[in-house]
Amino acid sequence: MTVLPFAAQQAADTEETPAARRLPLSWARLRPIVLPLGLFLLWLGGWEWVVDRFPASRSVLAAPSEIAAILVRSFPLLVPHLLSTARDTVMGFALAVVVGVVLGSALAQFRRLNQALFPHLVLFQIVPKIALAPLFIIWLGVGSESRLVFALFLSFFPIAAATATGLAATRPEALRLCAALTAPPWRTFFAVRVPFAIPALFAGLKMGMTMALIGTIVGEFVTGQEGLGYVVMFAAAGADNALTFAALTLLCAVGLVVYGAVVLAEIFAQRWYGAPFVTEGFN
Amino acid sequence: MTGGRQTGRHERLLAFALPVATAIVVALVWQATVTLADIREILLPTPGAIAENLARTLPSLLNQALVTGREALAGFALAVVAGFIGAAAISSSKLLREIFYPAIVAMQLIPKVALAPLFLVFLGIGAEARITFAALLSFFPVLISTAVGLHNTDLTAVRLCRSLGASGWQIFWSVRVPFALPAFFSGARISSTMAVTGVVIAEFISSTDGLGFVIVDQGAHARTAAVFAAITVLCALGLALYGVVAGIEKLSVRWYRG
Amino acid sequence: MDTIAMPLAEAPGGDGGFIRVRNARKVYATGDKSVEALSDVSFDVARGEFVAILGPSGCGKSTLLMMCGGLETSTGGAIEVAGSPMAGPRTSIGIMFQDPTLLPWKTVLQNVMFPAHILRRRDVKYSDRAHRLIDMVGLHGFENKRPHELSGGMRQRVAICRALLNDPDILLMDEPFSALDAITRDEMNEALLDIWRSYAKTALFVTHSIREAVLLADRVLVMTRRPATVVADIRVPFGRPRDMSVAETPEFAKLCAQLRGMIEHGTGKPARRPGDGPVLQPGRLGGEE
Repeated sequence: MTVLPFAAQQAADTEETPAARRLPLSWARLRPIVLPLGLFLLWLGGWEWVVDRFPASRSVLAAPSEIAAILVRSFPLLVPHLLSTARDTVMGFALAVVVGVVLGSALAQFRRLNQALFPHLVLFQIVPKIALAPLFIIWLGVGSESRLVFALFLSFFPIAAATATGLAATRPEALRLCAALTAPPWRTFFAVRVPFAIPALFAGLKMGMTMALIGTIVGEFVTGQEGLGYVVMFAAAGADNALTFAALTLLCAVGLVVYGAVVLAEIFAQRWYGAPFVTEGFN
Repeated sequence: MTGGRQTGRHERLLAFALPVATAIVVALVWQATVTLADIREILLPTPGAIAENLARTLPSLLNQALVTGREALAGFALAVVAGFIGAAAISSSKLLREIFYPAIVAMQLIPKVALAPLFLVFLGIGAEARITFAALLSFFPVLISTAVGLHNTDLTAVRLCRSLGASGWQIFWSVRVPFALPAFFSGARISSTMAVTGVVIAEFISSTDGLGFVIVDQGAHARTAAVFAAITVLCALGLALYGVVAGIEKLSVRWYRG
Repeated sequence: MDTIAMPLAEAPGGDGGFIRVRNARKVYATGDKSVEALSDVSFDVARGEFVAILGPSGCGKSTLLMMCGGLETSTGGAIEVAGSPMAGPRTSIGIMFQDPTLLPWKTVLQNVMFPAHILRRRDVKYSDRAHRLIDMVGLHGFENKRPHELSGGMRQRVAICRALLNDPDILLMDEPFSALDAITRDEMNEALLDIWRSYAKTALFVTHSIREAVLLADRVLVMTRRPATVVADIRVPFGRPRDMSVAETPEFAKLCAQLRGMIEHGTGKPARRPGDGPVLQPGRLGGEE
């Protein structure tokens, strides 16, 4: 029983034009991928050429081909260091996520707690926390634990801050709706606050992941025992440029993998709530 | 139910007093726990011990702060200028944008702190290495924020200027830059922290000067109270630099927006 | 939960849908000042009545509605709904706001089902009811669309369905069509009249449009500016079922003019503060052309 005759008209209006969706491999769609990729390869090629043509640069740089060669050759040597860095980064980050999200949620729900603690959170973001690395060595020694905990320490703050901010920024109209529906606070939290906070939450997670990696690397610099950061330091001091860059490449790989994991988690979270995630159309 | 939340003096006082009270409580608990549980000073000194050390070594620490601060400021200034120019270049030229895009993305992917040893080996252990490294770390936040800010200028304002016959240069300075100021300063604030961080990391690895060196050195000698004292001064330095940037931000916003 | 179709004449006996407001007062304290938004408002709404609250913008009518819905407390006086004093929101009272407040990641159907979802009620009757409500407002086929794919009018129709999901005894509506353009607004008025043909529960409808009030309501309460009171309680002479054609009748125009006069005189000397809009002028009130 349709009440309104114009409903059918509006249905027709909102349909997409079918033609626009059917061009699979046009240059327009490929360009954003092909062009940067091509330029990246061009940069690599240029780099190779420069080192080849100007041997003096070998004191500073190593050719991509050399880096690749040493990666293959010395891989067994590099694996324990790779694992050490990866373990410290991932574990530190994972723990920071748990602690940060829990604290951030608590801050968003309890106003007095927020007032008491949030200014300190902001303060800790501004201050150069990296300086505390030696403290963690005093407390936890030069082993993996101290690097892991330092990574946790560095990455926990942006995660907590982003979680608290994101959860607290729920649109008041949405909260009013929940109040009108007599929803208990915890239902409001999970059904409305969390979905709205997902973009901010994952921005914080990406930031936290970066900080975890930084913490691990600086920890490795200062403890000087193992890890890819240690290899970089060691290789640079020994003027072994190829090894230095090889270790750097592996570090990038670690960063990319963890970042990729966070992105995947974000996609999963969006699908759970119903992707694609759109926050327009609220009103 | 919104029964009518109290606003006004009562609330504002609480908003100020609660964090301060929290800090005081934490300090008191710290002092009490260490004293009562008889924790060794090497492991965790009391706030009192730290304060005493700080008071005693303040002149020396301030000297070191000057060293670190000087280098951080230099690196920061370099980064800000280069970042602004870079952002201006990228946002006005599509060609430049496309050429440098892979390089920028690559630099974002590399954990730049890992490059510290490289800088120190190639540029020596003098101030230049540390300043350059700090500049590298602080360059990207400014570059990216400012580029985004310049790019996102309100199109209606730009259209208006074009219709009045303004040149690209004039549009840039009188419309895009003012609109991009908030983004620029948000990047600059992050950069100030990164600059100090960069200098400290460099000092950790190899230096004989500066607060970073003091921290590592005192730490190696297990003089934990001295480590805390140096950290405190370093935090004050970081806050001061941040505060200066925030202050300049307020002034320039007022100047530009009238 | 029975079917939606319920002819007005046979509204079930029993409690529910009965509002009593006595000397309601609302004072806001902001900082060192206090503002009296409502002062001594009293009226009754009988079961099955559609009452419009009409007044200029900012006169506190939304506050009054929120108090009737349990979303605000009163500083003085008493508000009773279905025999018990208002102490908080109830599922027997449905509320519609000026913005539809649809959750952007949910589909139309999920948005309509939200009241059941948030209270974790999984009974299949909610789903059945949701589908019938969506059909009733003419959104059949749109169940899986997201809010950003809908127009403003369509979103408000989804909001109507959501408000009706719990089969509330009372529907409170706070200027639900004020944010829409004039044409869509007329369509929504027509839709509401049509819904009321079969739905017919008690309703309180806040508006600043005289035309809307007379078109939709059985009774119109006229309110003044702050501090607001009710200065007139006019019965609308048109019966039900009603359609848009009543707007063409001379009685309609006369009633609108009468109300307009009441509003002008009712405001008397309004306490004007800087930032207040222009004082009411003849023939221009709210969304009227």
